[in-house]
Amino acid sequence: MIYLDYSATTPVSYEVLDTISKVTKEFIGNANSLHALGLKSANLLESATKQIADIYGISPNEIIYTSGATEANNMALIGVAMANHKKGKHIIVSKLEHPSIYAICNYLKSIGFEISYVNNDKEGLIDFEDLKNKIREDTILVSICAVNSETGVRQPLKMIRQIIKKENLATIFHSDITQAVGKVSINFHDIDLASMSAHKIFGPKGIGFLYKSNMIKITPIIYGSGKFNELKPGTPPLPLIAALSKAIRLANTDLEKRERFVNLLNMKIVNFLEKYPEIKINKTKYSIPQILNISIMNIMPETFLHMLDKHEVYLSTNTACSSGEISNSIMAIYDDPKRAKHTIRISLSYVTTTDEINKFLEIFKEEYENAISIK
Amino acid sequence: MKKIIIIKYGELSTKKDNINFFISKLKNNISLILESIENEISYDFGRMFIKVNENDIDIVVNKLKKVFGILEIIIGYIDNELEIEKIKNNTLNLISDKNFNTFKVITKRSDKTYPINSMEINNVIGGYLLKNISNIKVDVHNPELSINIEIRKNEVLYYFNGIKGLGGYPVGTLGKGLLMLSGGIDSPVSGYMAIKRGVKIEAIYFESPPHTSEMAKEKVIKLARVLSYYNAEIKLHIINFTEIQETILKNIPHDYLITIMRRMMYRISAIIAHNNKCNILINGESIGQVASQTLTSMRAINEVIKMPVIRPLACFDKLEIIKMAKEIQTYDISTLPFEDCCTIFVPKHPVINPSLSKCEEYEKLIPYKELIHKAIKNHEVLIIKEKMENKYQDLL
Repeated sequence: MIYLDYSATTPVSYEVLDTISKVTKEFIGNANSLHALGLKSANLLESATKQIADIYGISPNEIIYTSGATEANNMALIGVAMANHKKGKHIIVSKLEHPSIYAICNYLKSIGFEISYVNNDKEGLIDFEDLKNKIREDTILVSICAVNSETGVRQPLKMIRQIIKKENLATIFHSDITQAVGKVSINFHDIDLASMSAHKIFGPKGIGFLYKSNMIKITPIIYGSGKFNELKPGTPPLPLIAALSKAIRLANTDLEKRERFVNLLNMKIVNFLEKYPEIKINKTKYSIPQILNISIMNIMPETFLHMLDKHEVYLSTNTACSSGEISNSIMAIYDDPKRAKHTIRISLSYVTTTDEINKFLEIFKEEYENAISIK
Repeated sequence: MKKIIIIKYGELSTKKDNINFFISKLKNNISLILESIENEISYDFGRMFIKVNENDIDIVVNKLKKVFGILEIIIGYIDNELEIEKIKNNTLNLISDKNFNTFKVITKRSDKTYPINSMEINNVIGGYLLKNISNIKVDVHNPELSINIEIRKNEVLYYFNGIKGLGGYPVGTLGKGLLMLSGGIDSPVSGYMAIKRGVKIEAIYFESPPHTSEMAKEKVIKLARVLSYYNAEIKLHIINFTEIQETILKNIPHDYLITIMRRMMYRISAIIAHNNKCNILINGESIGQVASQTLTSMRAINEVIKMPVIRPLACFDKLEIIKMAKEIQTYDISTLPFEDCCTIFVPKHPVINPSLSKCEEYEKLIPYKELIHKAIKNHEVLIIKEKMENKYQDLL
């Protein structure tokens, strides 16, 4: 098997799986309970949260566990909208967001909020002038993802924050950082809210967290009881939380070294594919090396994916989540419908080997040349 | 251009003779809290310089905000371009994202061979900024933005306004004290105030299982951990008070329960303090807050020991104490609902003006010297640090 779909999801690493198993077996108490077993669980929960807080330089009470980034995006966007609708109903997002953001925006539109879409340039970078001009007195939220899941374009969050706060200090800045965690360094002081999922960093599915700066308040969208955080009541899923904490620790080591290695693999693939005139490399100077998007102009992407599937080579078209036929992100950057219809995403990881890439390119060549010969 | 952190000293700069001791203590304290982060510390007559990786700067500044002895934390920029044109450009770039109406340029030349003198540089830079930025003015008395430029032999250091540090004295420069730590709001705040004055603290906690719970003990450990952010680490002495408390309950008239209990706690604390080279006791007593805190009560209780007892909160009112507890982040922990041994056996009518002779008379009814000795012998000692306990190392 050659797995090259790390941006869709990652396998759970051995160490993290070990934690899930041990914690499930040894920490049976509900962290909300008053007895010794509850206390034991509460202590582990506290240490797990403190570890994440220390790694990111934030406060433990700024971490709210969720079932993943989609839930966190909901909590963030709807929470800000509900808390601030008297101040304004204007929300700005980019054209490069994860589909969940647009789904939430559609809901908010249906209940009276106004959504604006900020432009980006040909490299995928946010158009700062356009952002500046779109921010108004009644703009309550800007949501721009740190790394685009299809093209890997990385946004300069600090600069975006400066622009937002210069125009309107009250506007809240949210970023979906799911594709950035474990790949590039993130400074949480650049943002007010952030969403992430564990299953992109060799952690289990079903857990992630919302970062919410202590400086802002949002309205809860989930109600219940429990002593941990009013935004996420209920029994904390301790095995998953411990796993998330460990996954974050493991993901946050040697970021630069790992990026350099993945870059070599990325360049290998690019150099190989460039030879083919009908294959477009959808990579800009802001794309991170872990995500490589291409458009195979003369073959339908689903068809090609299935051809590779035969060899147990796994890639994506668009994102795992989007159901449309056209890639919104490719349209936003290249404004080319044909290109946007034929995208394939190759996502790499620091655990990918040179051997795997070599084999992948062999198989790619075989199937691609076969496919065009049929045509 | 490289970033560097500059620290200006607080009160310790007035101690002429001891200044080297104070500075090296401060340096050691800083090294301890930056243990896990790559850093290089150097210092001169008035300031300390800390070099760290750019990614770590925010984390380090946050940690320095909790170190006593620091007056101001400033982020400086070092560049090796010495030409005046480059200095003009660099200054302009560095202030481009700042909002201000008035400014002042303060230049220092530590390298006196530099061709232009400080006054002239002030004028040249000032003029350049006025030309290139609209709507700003020079204010030599009270500028919003201070632009500091230091010209050294091979480099130029730029810095602006800094962040206020905690002030106070570096921890440990003024000896050791033992803090009587309960789970309440007051004692952690007292501990913090003592640390601020340069006292390194250890702590003592009295538990009475099963009357007090594990949760109450955890609460105290959490409070000690918050204090350890400022003190580096806290040695927590945990005394099992159950037998003493039950003996008092069975033998002493109820109105004197609290008074006698406190006398025992003072005796035990003084012995532990002495054994651990602490010269003072510290606690959170405030005049009049509860029955044992009237002046006659304080006298009747204090009388059993010779060691000085510092009560930093003696003259603060409850609202002021709560405000401080929130600032140092102990309030939320203190208000968790787990009772400590002082609150579980409260008599209906505690004596407000206890008499010394009655105290002595009642104490003859119980073998307190043996009980105290027993409680102190082999008591539990925990070292509380900011870093996570090792017990979760394989899980997290």
